[in-house]
Amino acid sequence: MRDLLSTILAATAPASAMTWLSDTIRDQETSFQKRPFYYAFSGVSRHFDKRGSVEVTDEQSQALDGQVPGFSVKGWDQFRLARVILLLTLGKQDKATFLETIAALLNTADLREQAAIYSAFPLLPHQADLVEAAVDGLRSNIIDIFDSLALQNPFPATHFSKEEWNQMVLKAIFISRPIYKIFGIESRSNADLADGVSYLAHERWAAGRKLTPEAWRNCAAHVSDGIVADLEHLLSEGDPIDHEAAALVIVRDGSDRVRHLQERIEAGLDAISGGSLTWERLGEKLEFPATLNGSPAQA
Amino acid sequence: MRFFDSHVHMVSRTTDDYQRMAAAGVTAIVEPSFWQGQPRTEVGTFKDYFNSLIGFERFRASQFGIKHYCTIGLNPKEANNEKLAEAVMELLPLYICKEGVVGIGEIGFDDQTKAEEKYLRWQAQLALEADLPIQIHTPHRDKKAGTIRTMDVLEDLGVDPGKVIIDHNNEETVKAVLDRGYWAAFTIYPHTKLGNQRMVEVMMEYGAERIVVDSAADWGISDPLAVPKTAALMKDRGITLEQIEQVTYFNPLAAYGQSGQVSEEDWAGSAGIDPTALFEGNTLLRGGMDVETAMSQYLIE
Repeated sequence: MRDLLSTILAATAPASAMTWLSDTIRDQETSFQKRPFYYAFSGVSRHFDKRGSVEVTDEQSQALDGQVPGFSVKGWDQFRLARVILLLTLGKQDKATFLETIAALLNTADLREQAAIYSAFPLLPHQADLVEAAVDGLRSNIIDIFDSLALQNPFPATHFSKEEWNQMVLKAIFISRPIYKIFGIESRSNADLADGVSYLAHERWAAGRKLTPEAWRNCAAHVSDGIVADLEHLLSEGDPIDHEAAALVIVRDGSDRVRHLQERIEAGLDAISGGSLTWERLGEKLEFPATLNGSPAQA
Repeated sequence: MRFFDSHVHMVSRTTDDYQRMAAAGVTAIVEPSFWQGQPRTEVGTFKDYFNSLIGFERFRASQFGIKHYCTIGLNPKEANNEKLAEAVMELLPLYICKEGVVGIGEIGFDDQTKAEEKYLRWQAQLALEADLPIQIHTPHRDKKAGTIRTMDVLEDLGVDPGKVIIDHNNEETVKAVLDRGYWAAFTIYPHTKLGNQRMVEVMMEYGAERIVVDSAADWGISDPLAVPKTAALMKDRGITLEQIEQVTYFNPLAAYGQSGQVSEEDWAGSAGIDPTALFEGNTLLRGGMDVETAMSQYLIE
């Protein structure tokens, strides 16, 4: 994993920074010391390009996904990838040192450092001991930190309890994050979460507001009578994209409960059977704000 | 026109302030570590304070299009609580190499005690080790002697004056500070520090080289628009635009830019605003009437 990540980083990072990184890793692996490790972890910002992004080929993406399903570095910057590589070195230390150092780093981390630490979670050892930190990280109102755990990260799907999972997904919906980027969104769906989505929709509708159409993906395998009523509401009151979401739920369910709605989603049925309408395609059409509008306290 | 306010304590300010600062052209800010009015009793509260400077406050500023940097340090007031001070010194190395940390600060003298000198020296050494600029707080009482003593201590350690920004100067201290090669910062703060008419007089005498204007707005009665207001007053009094830009933007950028942690590219693409346009009956400011009213009364006394 480390060689692959280093190859990806080297494609865009300055050669001098890559030399510094490999020297640092060599020193730390010879003799691990906490303070130099802290300096190196922060000091990534002094060696790599702070605006430099990471470029990853399709082949590399597939290789990463092959090693850790759901793991992706798409959209990362150089700081994050360099810090994740450093954390792999930390992962080779004994369990007590590893956990103490992770806790100290998280306790004093700036925003980009926190995002890097959470992004590394699915690659690190002793993952069961990191769950509490991940749940705590998701309480952040800072989008980049929330995203580093919730999106393109297989850690929550692997380790979260149902309650922790549902809390994360509902918050992602609440603060308008791209749901299609949550790994395991279908495999971890459950009836309680579907009810939670329905309840949130009713609150929004009562206030004259909208709910992201992606939210209904959580209900597709759990269509109750209440959800059927919600689908009827979407088809009579919603936008075209709400109709598409309803169509995806109705087709997935396919039961008698939703048969009476079939005639109202004919365009959607064609698009689904033609492959042009999927939850991924629907999600990609939506625009997601980089940061929340207004006060972050709303989250 | 855009401004760089290199001394402002945003943890004490509201979102209204952020909106008005952005509307008035404040593009980048430095938030020095300082005491919070109420003395701290535990090292953990320092850690959380430093965390907020590199974390939530940076995020909060970004929501208003303002780039937020900070300096990290143990302030002189709390240096007198030695037991706590030792523990804070253990924390500092965890923070000083972080992204966006543009110096060690604000450090210096308050009551000019032995403990204050001890931690000034210790932190100046840390700045030398990390190759970072130093932001100096000069005392409110016996200011001139305290300022001279600060410079003596720094020179004793071999600190380059060109990497030190000495703040809260006045007419009494400015000459010695400039003569010895330091950056001289002036805090425009109503009632207790310097009014902006006096600032204009200082510029008439000393020009713009190595002079910096800041607000030091905090939890007291202070003015987060002090830098743009002072720029407006300077224009009104005939100081050249080039000199105004130097003291309100380019000088603080150059001084703290020596950290390698702040450069103009960080805010490339964000639109600057000309607050002086306001005084020609224009209404360019985005903040609406609130900011226009605030900016139209630009004297700070």
